[in-house]
Amino acid sequence: MAGPETKGSTVLEGRDLAYSYPGATKPVFADINLFTKVDEFIAVVGPTGTGKSTLLRVLAQLIPQAAGKVFLDGVEVSRPSPKISLVHQSIATFPWMTALDNVRLVLAGTGMDEQEAVAHCKKMLSVVGLQGFEGYYPKEMSGGMRQRVAIARALAASPEVLLLDEPFVHLDELTANEIRKEVYDLVFNPATTLKSAVLVSHNLHEVVQLADRVYIMNSTPAMIVDIVKIDLPRPRIERDPGFLDCVDELYKGLNLKKAKS
Amino acid sequence: MDLTIPLATLATVGRIFLLIALAVFTGHLLAYAAIKSRRFENVYVPLVNVFESIPVIGFLPLVLVAFVLTFHGPIGVELAVDFLVFDAVAWNVWIGIYQAFKTVPLHLVEVSDNYNLSFWKKMTTLFVPHSIPRVTSNIFSSFADAFFYISVSEVFTAGAATASLCPGGTCSTFGIGTLITQYTISGDYTGVYYCLISIAVAVIVVTAALSRLSRWALAKFGVDTPGVIKRHAGRWRGRLVTSPWRAFRNQTNVFRGYASRLRANPREGQTEVGSVWRARITKYAGTSIAVAVLALVLYGSATLAASVSAQTWYGFFRETPQLLEYVGADYLRVSLIALASLALAVTVGYVLATHRRTGDAALPVVQVLAAFPSPTYFPLIFIATLPFLEHVLPSLYTEVYIFVLGFLSCFYYVFFDFWIGVQAIPSEFVEVTRNYRLPFLTRMRRVILPATLPYMITGLSSTINSAWAGIAIGEYWPNIAPTVAPNGLQVKFGMMYYISSNMANGQVAAAAYVSLLFAIVVAIYGIAFTRNLMDLARKKYVVEEGIFAA
Repeated sequence: MAGPETKGSTVLEGRDLAYSYPGATKPVFADINLFTKVDEFIAVVGPTGTGKSTLLRVLAQLIPQAAGKVFLDGVEVSRPSPKISLVHQSIATFPWMTALDNVRLVLAGTGMDEQEAVAHCKKMLSVVGLQGFEGYYPKEMSGGMRQRVAIARALAASPEVLLLDEPFVHLDELTANEIRKEVYDLVFNPATTLKSAVLVSHNLHEVVQLADRVYIMNSTPAMIVDIVKIDLPRPRIERDPGFLDCVDELYKGLNLKKAKS
Repeated sequence: MDLTIPLATLATVGRIFLLIALAVFTGHLLAYAAIKSRRFENVYVPLVNVFESIPVIGFLPLVLVAFVLTFHGPIGVELAVDFLVFDAVAWNVWIGIYQAFKTVPLHLVEVSDNYNLSFWKKMTTLFVPHSIPRVTSNIFSSFADAFFYISVSEVFTAGAATASLCPGGTCSTFGIGTLITQYTISGDYTGVYYCLISIAVAVIVVTAALSRLSRWALAKFGVDTPGVIKRHAGRWRGRLVTSPWRAFRNQTNVFRGYASRLRANPREGQTEVGSVWRARITKYAGTSIAVAVLALVLYGSATLAASVSAQTWYGFFRETPQLLEYVGADYLRVSLIALASLALAVTVGYVLATHRRTGDAALPVVQVLAAFPSPTYFPLIFIATLPFLEHVLPSLYTEVYIFVLGFLSCFYYVFFDFWIGVQAIPSEFVEVTRNYRLPFLTRMRRVILPATLPYMITGLSSTINSAWAGIAIGEYWPNIAPTVAPNGLQVKFGMMYYISSNMANGQVAAAAYVSLLFAIVVAIYGIAFTRNLMDLARKKYVVEEGIFAA
């Protein structure tokens, strides 16, 4: 399926992707084609069980696809890489490490000088608004702060693509809204190496607020049934009629059971 | 066709399972008392820990004398052996049921309290069903522990103390352990091999049956079962399949989930909503049982102490520094065994846990090996290697044998617990380590070992407790192989040797005194090692707490 016109060169691409659980006869999803361009924020939406989170893991090569290929900057990717960083739905920070240690973990084995690594990680913590909290343990932090640590960890690995698996679902609306803005800014922040981001979410308002393009998954096995381009100016305001129109369009898309031809 | 060997195997297996059934029954009553009465719990749990650590094997002659004198003849011997087997199976089952009762979900307890269910109803509809997965899992370890002792429990040469009680001074009851000992002593190694084959068949059949039972129990009674529904066409469609190891994991997770709740609600996470009089009765009954148990222990100790003359006591006190050195020597042996077990766990255990196919193939083999009683085949290893080891390590070969026997008797506890711990690491963390390609050593040091620390402490604790059993047998095994070693396997410097040799010579008081010293050391160790490390692990290293899902 050809997508709408987009800007920049392709960063991450999944081509003809399919996935089946071991021993299962039917695939969870099949014929998935999606890509991200430089400075582009894309989203994937779909009903529960369509394999959106699994798709992210396939894109990160944390699990092998049954068919298809994943490319980063035009080069095939066949194993996990820090260049494609996944931020989990369940905020995963190691409880026995401080915020700084949690972030530094991803630099182990990179050969980076100790002082340089600490400075780099502090900078990433600062980027997510956690300067002064470097010595805090996750238990001493709120959910929002923990998710910031997880994002700082992902950024510290100097990724090109950030994969976000419903990262705000466990946060209260105020915190979630704040971090959404931060995440969006990060994608276009010259202090980071990020080129694009892929968000999986059930929250259509969140999707419209963040995404440039939205892939809608549905059907059995799941496939891309529609692609919606969101051209609203930023910052986007939820009360704006155009915003609500986009949300409506996504709702309609979610009701599609078969791919548009 | 001679049916003696299969019949003896059946007799042994039957004896073990009857006693496991008794342990399960009593365990439920005691566990209920423990969760209802803090006072009883405070007596019950430490006592179980101490009894679990002290191998009763050293005291078998004393037990034998008591039973044979009371019940006379074969019945007395049978009861003495049953007591020993019960000692091997009970603690593990009891503590398992206690932990299961402590982890009954709060909302279910509230429902049972809310509707004022009677004791019987609560037990049959909530506590017993909830404990079944844990019990079925623990039966495996109990079975292995019971089998471990059979070659030294079913037949016993009790020395001077019981020379007049059994023909030829050797008391025995019908079972495969007795047959093995008889064949070994008479040099009939073909008979020994047939016995080992018979045991192997029994172990494989029982292990397979327990695995099935464990799966069924977890599917039916497990909370948040981690098993997957295996879909087939036909009548078995939708049957839940999981492995017994997942059963263990599930139980451990439930317990740890409970541990988190416990911190939030120190009163066992249970709501005492019920009639006041019933609560009072429970409280007083628990206190009464606790007092009765303590009184029994104290009475037993006082009676024994009073039966020993002041002069003898003085001799004991004077000997205490030497006896403590014996205890220290055995702790050193146990430490080496524990370290070797841990090393095996974090290497081979890690590989099996992270390589699914290898794990699926290898784990049942390790499971059967763990259940196969090492004292039954150890004499064969001893006979085959003694000339060589005696020649190569003339002053150390006995230590090597004790180490091997101890290791074989307990390595699997920490091995399986570590394996379960690795399996229980949330997938998000595993994905983080893979996503950022953490080097192996960093992954182990920063993620795997901290994340599995609570499991390792539990496993290490059980390994250490069980290592004593191997050492108890290894340090004093006079009839291990009379044909090649007339003096058997004996080490002169060790507490277990001191206990066993004194018991064999009728020096009950001396053995009891060193056991008392040992019990004190075990209690200190329990507080200093197990409790403190467990506290640290629960405070800082509960990996699930790293996953925030508010």
